[in-house]
Amino acid sequence: MAETTDMIEVTINKDVLVIGCGAQGLESAEAVAAKGYKVVLVDDGDVPAPASADIEVMANTTVESLAGMTGDFRTCLANGSGRSDRTFGAIVVAPKYGLAPLNEAYGLALDDKVVSMTQMEALLGDAAFKKTLGQGEGKTIAFVSGFGQEGDPAATSRVLEAALTVQKLGNARAYIYANNVKVGARGLERLFTLGRNEGVVCFKPLEKPAIEQGDTLKIVINDPVVREDVALEPDYIVVEEEVVVGRANLDLAETLRIDTDLDGFIPSNNVHRFPANSNREGIFVASTLEDAPNVALRVADLLASGVKSVAANAAVVDETKCTICLTCYRCCPHGAIFWENGIAAISPVACQGCGICASECPMDAIQIGDFTDDALKADIEGAVASVSGTPSIVAFCCQNSALEAGEAAKAFDTELPQGFRMIQVPCAGKVDVEFIMKAFVEGADGVMVAACHEGNCKAERGSTFAKWRVEEIRKRLETIGLSKDRLIFTTIASNMAEEFSMKVRMFAEKL
Amino acid sequence: MIVAERKPFDEIKNMVSGYKKVLTVGCGTCVAVCLAGGSKEVETLNAELNLAFGKDKIEFGAETVERQCDMEFLAELDAKADEYDALISMACGAGIQFLAERFPNKPVFPAVNTSFIGVNLDVGWYEEKCRACGTCVLGLTGGICPVTLCAKSLFNGPCGGTNQKSCEIDKDQPCAWYKIHERLAGQDRLGQIIEISPPNDWSNQKPRKVIQPGYEERVKALGR
Repeated sequence: MAETTDMIEVTINKDVLVIGCGAQGLESAEAVAAKGYKVVLVDDGDVPAPASADIEVMANTTVESLAGMTGDFRTCLANGSGRSDRTFGAIVVAPKYGLAPLNEAYGLALDDKVVSMTQMEALLGDAAFKKTLGQGEGKTIAFVSGFGQEGDPAATSRVLEAALTVQKLGNARAYIYANNVKVGARGLERLFTLGRNEGVVCFKPLEKPAIEQGDTLKIVINDPVVREDVALEPDYIVVEEEVVVGRANLDLAETLRIDTDLDGFIPSNNVHRFPANSNREGIFVASTLEDAPNVALRVADLLASGVKSVAANAAVVDETKCTICLTCYRCCPHGAIFWENGIAAISPVACQGCGICASECPMDAIQIGDFTDDALKADIEGAVASVSGTPSIVAFCCQNSALEAGEAAKAFDTELPQGFRMIQVPCAGKVDVEFIMKAFVEGADGVMVAACHEGNCKAERGSTFAKWRVEEIRKRLETIGLSKDRLIFTTIASNMAEEFSMKVRMFAEKL
Repeated sequence: MIVAERKPFDEIKNMVSGYKKVLTVGCGTCVAVCLAGGSKEVETLNAELNLAFGKDKIEFGAETVERQCDMEFLAELDAKADEYDALISMACGAGIQFLAERFPNKPVFPAVNTSFIGVNLDVGWYEEKCRACGTCVLGLTGGICPVTLCAKSLFNGPCGGTNQKSCEIDKDQPCAWYKIHERLAGQDRLGQIIEISPPNDWSNQKPRKVIQPGYEERVKALGR
């Protein structure tokens, strides 16, 4: 390992682009501006005037393209009056998701008595409507939630708020039919208790309520507490809504080259990242109002005074070898690679050092910080040479998980085969096909690639790349005439020391 | 680019068994880009061969040149090649032959099968686009090659086998002429589809040479 790391200073543009002017977008723009950065706030629709005069507003504007890198994002902003090229150091995305009523999940059609949550919220904002609820014997409103989809605190909050508003009218009654009342957010438990104290009735049936929609409405459930059928004929039924990602958000994610989660929400989940960070350094996401101050902190941390000191050798491209095949650009999970002057260029600010690019490069043109090809090959030779007796096992261990587990296994004196050697890699994605083959050529009896659990890779897809490579090499070993079982891929968490040594022992027994 | 695939391992192994020192030569252009014959593939193949033959049974060397289809880059191997009694080329068919021509006394073995001229769809995923027929009709066909995409390579189509959007050979195989029709209609130049393209001169399929305009005199001066 290098003893000193040369640092270089990179100039960072200090302007910030905020996309989306929902509440969290506005809040983020204000919070970033309050840190002293120039903010441009764009939205594909109207933009309300922000409080801060330092925020430049562009309504009916979309981000048509994004080039460049963290600290130097070059965007093309398009609106009715044309296109303008603007450069930003950081980008904040404040996605605006849509809502769709889930009436069909309950076998209901929307009409003037069966309404969506959004419609009821609007009605409850209308004084005349509220007055009708309290007239005569008073009206009954039933909320159904959590059967059309698994509920969440945001949806629960809306139901509880509306039910409380209804109940507080005095002469109207609110009933909630919920699958799970999700109160895991600030103030929700309090809101729930408040409603109960006011007289809101909550049912938690085991099955979706049976609802008749005719001249009158009728809901029948089997109440698990009294173990009897309970029927209600409400005047209104309010159905829950699902959040819809929408084409615009997906297109934006594609333009910005940031990952979405499995449901299409931005950003993708990664426990190794701050929630406000996307997979690309410098592109932040404000999903909720609470994210706004965090986004501002992250932006300020990146932009600082406009100069960033970073390691010069994070990822270095050998211009004599690079053929700009674009494999690295396509494989980089952090969107840290582009190309200029005829070779691939890796942004030292955006690069996270996982090394997936280096392992995929068909010309071995990329070297990663302390994990150069030469250094790792020397590690492999050293590992195999230091073993006397059999079996000799070389384990490529991701430093985010398996290496920790292995070190702990050693520290706890768990039993490990004598010929077991670990090689530290920054991510399983850095384990090159060549490295595995070299370990066998040097004389290893077994090779293990130990990665993070699926969905837990710091580099998003490093474990996946490693798994694919192992599968491919296992096939190749067979065609060579060697047992494919001399190579295994395994996943482990950093706190699984005992499991780790057990996996190693089992592997050793089979060799 | 030219797209190639690595040959089955046993085929390569059989070709080189019996030699003592073998140099594996990669190519840093098309086959590197399509992940079949760059320096990483050279290293990997050598490791596989080492494992199969047993370490040190055969000595495998590794070199990757910029392009095996340029004599100047092959010249870089002149001193080195002498040390070996056989060469493996991981270049396309053109590169392999040029390498063999450069070192006529050395057996040269191909480690890849040259597949086609194509484009990249995603990392490691390629699609054939051009058959190098020598008579490009893309201007008339909306930029879609009927020689490559049509099972009959029809210059004038479609044939009677067009079936909705598919070709009669396979419902997953798009009909080239259906796509051409759609593309031309979208560009409001459907009239072109009834223009008859004269048949290709398939006699041009003998080994061809191209001399770019302006270089004829230079070639003449070389006396070749």
